[in-house]
Amino acid sequence: MESGVSSVINLTEVAKREKEEFGKKVSELIIEFGAENLLACMQCGACASVCPLARVGFEWYNKKLIKAILIGMKEELLDDPTPWACVACNRCTEICPRQVAPFEVMFAMRRLMVEEFAIPTLAIEGIRSLYEHGHAVYMTGREARKKVGLPEKPPTTDSDEKALQDLRTILRNTKLAELGLIPME
Amino acid sequence: MISETVKEEKKLKFGLFLGCNISFNRPDVEQAMRKIFPALGVEIDDLVGQSCCPTWGTMPSIDIVGWCAVAARNLCLGEEKGIDLMTACNSCYGSLNEARHKMLKNPEIMSKVNEILAKIGKKYEGKAKCRHVAWVLYKDVGLEKIKESIKYSLDGITVAVQPGCHFLWPSEVYPDKEEDPFNPKVLRELCEALGADAPYYTRLIDCCGMGALRSTDPEKSFILVREKLECIKEEIDADLIVTTCSSCLIQLDDAQEKLRKEGKINFSIPVLHYVQLLAICMGFDPQQVAGICVTPRDEIIKRILEGGKR
Repeated sequence: MESGVSSVINLTEVAKREKEEFGKKVSELIIEFGAENLLACMQCGACASVCPLARVGFEWYNKKLIKAILIGMKEELLDDPTPWACVACNRCTEICPRQVAPFEVMFAMRRLMVEEFAIPTLAIEGIRSLYEHGHAVYMTGREARKKVGLPEKPPTTDSDEKALQDLRTILRNTKLAELGLIPME
Repeated sequence: MISETVKEEKKLKFGLFLGCNISFNRPDVEQAMRKIFPALGVEIDDLVGQSCCPTWGTMPSIDIVGWCAVAARNLCLGEEKGIDLMTACNSCYGSLNEARHKMLKNPEIMSKVNEILAKIGKKYEGKAKCRHVAWVLYKDVGLEKIKESIKYSLDGITVAVQPGCHFLWPSEVYPDKEEDPFNPKVLRELCEALGADAPYYTRLIDCCGMGALRSTDPEKSFILVREKLECIKEEIDADLIVTTCSSCLIQLDDAQEKLRKEGKINFSIPVLHYVQLLAICMGFDPQQVAGICVTPRDEIIKRILEGGKR
């Protein structure tokens, strides 16, 4: 930049660069990933008033996340754990006067983060366990089942090899296989 | 002469959808269901080959069609037999019904799901749904039959009810709905049918902090469970916490012990799933139907068995 000349941001250039770097706008991606009614949000804050995450101090709770997406933020959001803390309780969906379903925005954000590999290790472990055993929560110890007088194996994929193979076939035909998050032989 | 028509009772039959936590962490809840339902005239099908619902941190976080496909395979296991599923886990109840709602609302999702299911020779028609065991007890079995079935009552016992999030919201996707989802009554009435007092308390509908919140940030999760427990203690001094969710059960039971060890609370309130409490009141072996816990239950069970004989 030449000295004495104030910096002028060429918006056309920025827009072009962003298009090249990120492809679609964040809001378009979020809508595509399931938050169909994103644009109906009027930032009233009803969702935040009932959100457990907002109450315990997570940074990007529902209302704030929606605003960030609407103004095109993306990089700042990718490192934040908030969407992964969402308990999917859907208080927000119930109370929203505009049928935005903020829960869908939270989970669409998760899906976007997964594409960028911004996914917590614990989530990957759960997915791996789902593929391996048919159960996201799986325990090899069976003392508890024996203690209460039940067979060691529950009547699930845990005791039904054909069902487990069926489930794996399903998973191999979903987006999970395209992402390559876990080995899927 | 016209012969007297015999009132034919509709045979109730459901596929017992267990979910991961009940299968492996809290099988006493499974055993409680296996005891109470046949005794109440509800036949159980094992839904052999069922899997994880799928829970929120797995396929729902990856892709909607993939989420629905895993859920649909589970729902198919009931649909093929012409029965609905029922579960004692709110997460399973939420995930399966959210998925079904998406498939029914959006034919494109349904057809993509069925393309995937075709590879394992299945097709989901959208008929089978997942009911919640508490609703089956409330609506299908009925409070009167529950009252008749119990050997021990909870007279003089105060319970704090914890319906849990996915018992209530989003009401649009569930087969059964509270009149006011922000002022739930069903679990309170179910507990009252056993003779207990089940008063309102300020944090009755608050989240317990389990699930993704606890795995992401245990400290923040414990803020919620602590507030809830303190409210229960201070406002209604409950003898017992009763929930309809296996995740709430684990959190309230387990985190309570952690809070005690850290010196953050100085009281102990036993926690039971409603099906466990009902099983105890019906006279089933507490070791089998309520034998797994962190926060001790012995005293309250003794009190029920000694004091509440009808």
